[in-house]
Amino acid sequence: MSYILQTSRLTKTIGGKELVRDVDLHVKKGEIYGFLGPNGAGKTTVMKMIMNLWKPTMGTVELFGKPITSKSYEVLRRIGSIIEFPTFYEHMTGEENLRMHCEYMGYYQHGSVEKALKMLDLSAAAKKPVKNYSLGMKERLGIARAILCKPELLILDEPTNGLDPAGMKQIRELLRMLSAEQGTTIVVSSHILSEIESIADTIGIIHQGRMKKEIGLKEIEEMSLAYIELSAQNPERAAYVLADKLGLTNFKVMEGGMFRIYDERVTTEEIAKTFAMNEVAVTSLGRKAETLEDYFLKLTAEVKTND
Amino acid sequence: MIKLMRLEWKKNNILKYARNAAITTAVLLLFLLMAAGELETEETVQSYGKSMLDMSVGLFVHMSYIIFTGVMIAAFIVGAYEKKTINLMFSYPIKRSKIILSKIGAVWLFNFAAMVLSKAVIYAVLIATRSFTGISAAGFPIGEPSFWLDAVLSSAAMVSISFIALPVGLKMKSSKAAIVAAVVIVCFTQGGIGSVTLANNMTFYAILFVAAVISVWLSVWRVETRDVM
Repeated sequence: MSYILQTSRLTKTIGGKELVRDVDLHVKKGEIYGFLGPNGAGKTTVMKMIMNLWKPTMGTVELFGKPITSKSYEVLRRIGSIIEFPTFYEHMTGEENLRMHCEYMGYYQHGSVEKALKMLDLSAAAKKPVKNYSLGMKERLGIARAILCKPELLILDEPTNGLDPAGMKQIRELLRMLSAEQGTTIVVSSHILSEIESIADTIGIIHQGRMKKEIGLKEIEEMSLAYIELSAQNPERAAYVLADKLGLTNFKVMEGGMFRIYDERVTTEEIAKTFAMNEVAVTSLGRKAETLEDYFLKLTAEVKTND
Repeated sequence: MIKLMRLEWKKNNILKYARNAAITTAVLLLFLLMAAGELETEETVQSYGKSMLDMSVGLFVHMSYIIFTGVMIAAFIVGAYEKKTINLMFSYPIKRSKIILSKIGAVWLFNFAAMVLSKAVIYAVLIATRSFTGISAAGFPIGEPSFWLDAVLSSAAMVSISFIALPVGLKMKSSKAAIVAAVVIVCFTQGGIGSVTLANNMTFYAILFVAAVISVWLSVWRVETRDVM
């Protein structure tokens, strides 16, 4: 399969400190790729290398089928980005900043600046100097600038930082629209799972500088991540009943006397009956489905365990 | 390159610098007008074929514009790294060295033009007002091409030398360090201790010019492969 963006064994070390290692990332044309990871996981480092701002210590970045080198400038014409936080010429107005961007990008399309400002609800503030913008307005202006020249690939590093819930929703809808109507490929990083979950087609989970998993959201849905959750007053005895009386091995002991049973053969009725027969008090019992959040926590917990 | 320089001027609000350059020239002119009578009463005082007044014009204009150039280096180049607007610049489909050179060119050209213009205005006003101040025009023969050639070349040299401040600011990641470096350059090139001065030492200027060229080269060297922090 051909990818619009892919990295291979991408590694970055600065001052002897390994920031990311062996990151393989694959982004298909037209999809929204959610790059998920806790703060400090290495998302920004990877994005800086994709944008050629940082050079990989090892590994490669391929954009539009070509490996990027220190001389890859033209490819930047096809990309819109926000890395870390958007910077502006603060004394200039929002509109002037966008027009300046068009000049540098060599993009001259009548009405494009006004359209971008309107899409991000900034038309009223267009003539105000950026120094008078709030944090949220600057973030929105950054997004307006990133989408201004109709890029084929949009790279957004935590674009909803500083936005209120309504602003976040607006950005999610905008990204969906860009993907659906313009076919823009979008890589969006976040540490907020719900943000990614609702818009991404594929999720890449990075943790402690390593890519843990790349998975399509559909795959997650199909992965039968349902489980039975039970809470018992006597966890030791409950574990004995599950293992010896019910013959289960695929269960996990959580904090506070909670158990997660992943074995599909057993039903809640069966468990309730066996626990009652063995005189183990059950305080709660029910079938649940694993959310992306659970999946994410499981993967990141595995990294900690392996370390 | 011209377009990039024009954009640098635009986004750095060049009109503000033009206004400040005009104020600087006006202040220098006022100071020199007040000093003119005093200096030219000793008409015989000559140095290297120049009158004291001509030397004073050169000295004060050079001093002012070396610092002025330092301030602009701090704002246009070092400030771009400090405020991280350079990250934005390096995300454009333009060679990084071209971006940095356009910034250097924008600062150099503005200060060179401003310095020459400043000298021209000061000389013109000094001559126009000589009936009031009583100074002699013999000290600055503005009709002679060699006089203007000297004014132009010395301006170009002084602006160029100011760029020694650039790698200092970049290395220390500080606009203030660039400005302080420019002040130090003024002290070395225009100042003196007692009767000892390097102000008229051509070898010294040649060394400084080479240092300035190396400074610019260092600022552009490996810029394509360096990480932007």
